[in-house]
Amino acid sequence: MAVKPAVEPASGKTVRVSGCTAAAFAARYADVDVVTAYPIRPYTAIMMTLAQMIANGELDAEYIHSDGEHAQLSAALGAGSSGARVFTGSSGVGVTFAYELYSFISGARVPIHMAIADRTLDPPGDFGSEHTDALCTRDMGWLMGWAATPQEVFDKTLMAYRMGEDHRVLLPQMVCQDGYFVSHISGEVVLPDPELVREFLPPYKLPFALDPRKSVSHGAQIMPEQGPPLQLSRARAMEEAVPVMREVTDRFAEVFGRQYPHFVEEYRLDDAEIAFFIQGAHAVTARGVVDALRDQGVKIGMARLLWVRPFPTEDVQKALGHLKAVGVVETNLGLGGATSGGVLALDLATALYSLRERPLLTSFMAGMGGEAVPSHEFQWMAKKLQQAVADGRVEKMTHWVGFEE
Amino acid sequence: MAIEVERQVLPLFETDDRSRWYNPDLPETDPFVPGHRTCAGCGPAIEYRLHLKAAEDNSIAIGPTGCMYVANSSYMCTPYSIPWAHTPIASGGSFASGVAAGYEAMIRKGKHPGPYPNIICMSGDGSASDIGLGSVSGMLYRNHDALLVCYDNEQYANTGIQTSPTSPYGAMTTFTPPGPKIPEGKKLWPKEVAKMMSEGHPWCYVATTTVGYPIDLMNKTRKGLNFRGAAFMQVYAPCQKGFVYQTPLTIELGKMVVECGLFPVWEYDPETRKYDHFVPEQRHPVHEYLKLQGRFGHLSAEHIAKIQASANRKWEQMDADVPAEFRDAEDPDYYTRLGIGKAGATASDKAKAW
Repeated sequence: MAVKPAVEPASGKTVRVSGCTAAAFAARYADVDVVTAYPIRPYTAIMMTLAQMIANGELDAEYIHSDGEHAQLSAALGAGSSGARVFTGSSGVGVTFAYELYSFISGARVPIHMAIADRTLDPPGDFGSEHTDALCTRDMGWLMGWAATPQEVFDKTLMAYRMGEDHRVLLPQMVCQDGYFVSHISGEVVLPDPELVREFLPPYKLPFALDPRKSVSHGAQIMPEQGPPLQLSRARAMEEAVPVMREVTDRFAEVFGRQYPHFVEEYRLDDAEIAFFIQGAHAVTARGVVDALRDQGVKIGMARLLWVRPFPTEDVQKALGHLKAVGVVETNLGLGGATSGGVLALDLATALYSLRERPLLTSFMAGMGGEAVPSHEFQWMAKKLQQAVADGRVEKMTHWVGFEE
Repeated sequence: MAIEVERQVLPLFETDDRSRWYNPDLPETDPFVPGHRTCAGCGPAIEYRLHLKAAEDNSIAIGPTGCMYVANSSYMCTPYSIPWAHTPIASGGSFASGVAAGYEAMIRKGKHPGPYPNIICMSGDGSASDIGLGSVSGMLYRNHDALLVCYDNEQYANTGIQTSPTSPYGAMTTFTPPGPKIPEGKKLWPKEVAKMMSEGHPWCYVATTTVGYPIDLMNKTRKGLNFRGAAFMQVYAPCQKGFVYQTPLTIELGKMVVECGLFPVWEYDPETRKYDHFVPEQRHPVHEYLKLQGRFGHLSAEHIAKIQASANRKWEQMDADVPAEFRDAEDPDYYTRLGIGKAGATASDKAKAW
């Protein structure tokens, strides 16, 4: 029988906290056993908050001061492999410094949780947010999604644990938030009853933990012909995660009363002709611009991606298939790719390709290096989409916003 | 509310002078069972078996990439009867930290019944002294209750015998081949990994030994595991493939390397902060050790003299007297008089004689 924490977290209270603090609160409510930390802005505030909670006796967890992000994720894997619930995280080049571990952890099928507050990759040093850091690990077998507000960070962290720990899935999860725009700006967060959290997210058991009572070997060397079934099983777990994620999202709504879209937020899309396709905090601005343009009679909407891995092909087809033109707002760098822009457009194009009728597709490089994406830039993007509809073709696959007429 | 974490205490084996390498009263359990595919006479495999025999069954083994991963653990056929996990080559110490932290928290929070398992990480010398050095230091710094063993076969053997920071001066490896421009092969001196660990993390139990002294090895394993905090062991374990010697000589080399002063065997006590050195009764000049191995076959008198000088400095550091003959052997002429070390011909001939 698990021991309850000595100090229970607050219940039913609404607090005004940053995205970083919200992530730390979620880790506390999840009653994590091991936290592995290494400092890098801007996610550091999550780890600072957790360190204080442990010092105060509010969270009973081991806190590992790692000697770098590679070690941080290695320690997280070690703790996770022993059966502990683990919380870790990073930002920017910290995410990429640990790169070896992403495939390692998902391949080990150890469902550890990683909180990312985005930061642009070097060079040169830039504290600003860009989704490139986490996105360059997107094909490594982690459930991955962006939260747009501190409340969503909190909720998504709890949901991610439950999704990843489901025995049909057993995959690690990354919940990302835009650096500063979410990580360091306060928003209202409703703190739930800890008893409800325990009901939603009970202590879990890794079915193959490193436990001397039942011996297992993890990661033994294979011959090439033994590779395909292992890779297939990881791919299948990713596919099977889709229905589990829908279930968990609905279960979360039942327990806590907040219903999130399963994968795609469809904002004023029903009768829309054009739309932004976006993930993360800039969606908040985009919604405002959609409302303003609607007032002027423009048939525009927005689709916000809540989880980019597994990529919700069906949901995206349903949300966007009927449109005339879609513009992907990238906020990430995919140098030399098919669109010579970001990487989201590649997934979206593939998802829409099999439709008989599909929208025109272009992409916008915006918010690079952590710059804000103000309303007038979204309005400029909307014009490009209207023009594409009028011309029956897109001007180009990628627009660098702010660098073109 | 927290539950106290119960620890295991393993009794030490009785030793007398002889039993530094012989004792009939070994535990019956053998957590390192057949099923591996290491070379005949593999030093690290012999060593691994002894460590796990000493640790017994309530243990977890961790294997960063290296020989003891690749040659030991074939899928569906690993030689471990205890839980074992592979880690990236640079992750031995940090992964072990994670397992240790996981068990501390899970036992304390009532999620695992305990007692706390023995956690042993077996890192090769490439992992422990090169790519994973920071990870080892991190585990010792954080003082997680685990034992990190550097099984030191003095090279990256699994990848085909490349030099590592513990490969000795003068060793032939595929990254330090001797040739007319570089006659000695390896020109650099080996890192003293265990000293780095004891000096840099003086609160930790640190010891060195070799496969030449099985009971010493098993007792130090138990002391390291009984120690409440992080422990580090560096164990010399010859590699037949890379050292190029006659297969039955593995254990013999484990003693010769100590008797020639090239691998000091010691124990560091974190309480008194003192070293206890083992000075063998029988001692030999270094060429007696070098001649047994093909990897030194190319050395000339001048190079062997340098290696003898380094051994003499080690004897002095151990407060052992340095016999006059060893001092003479710091002079290349010593070897000329004996007729050895002429472009390697004599040395390798002698090796063949074994």
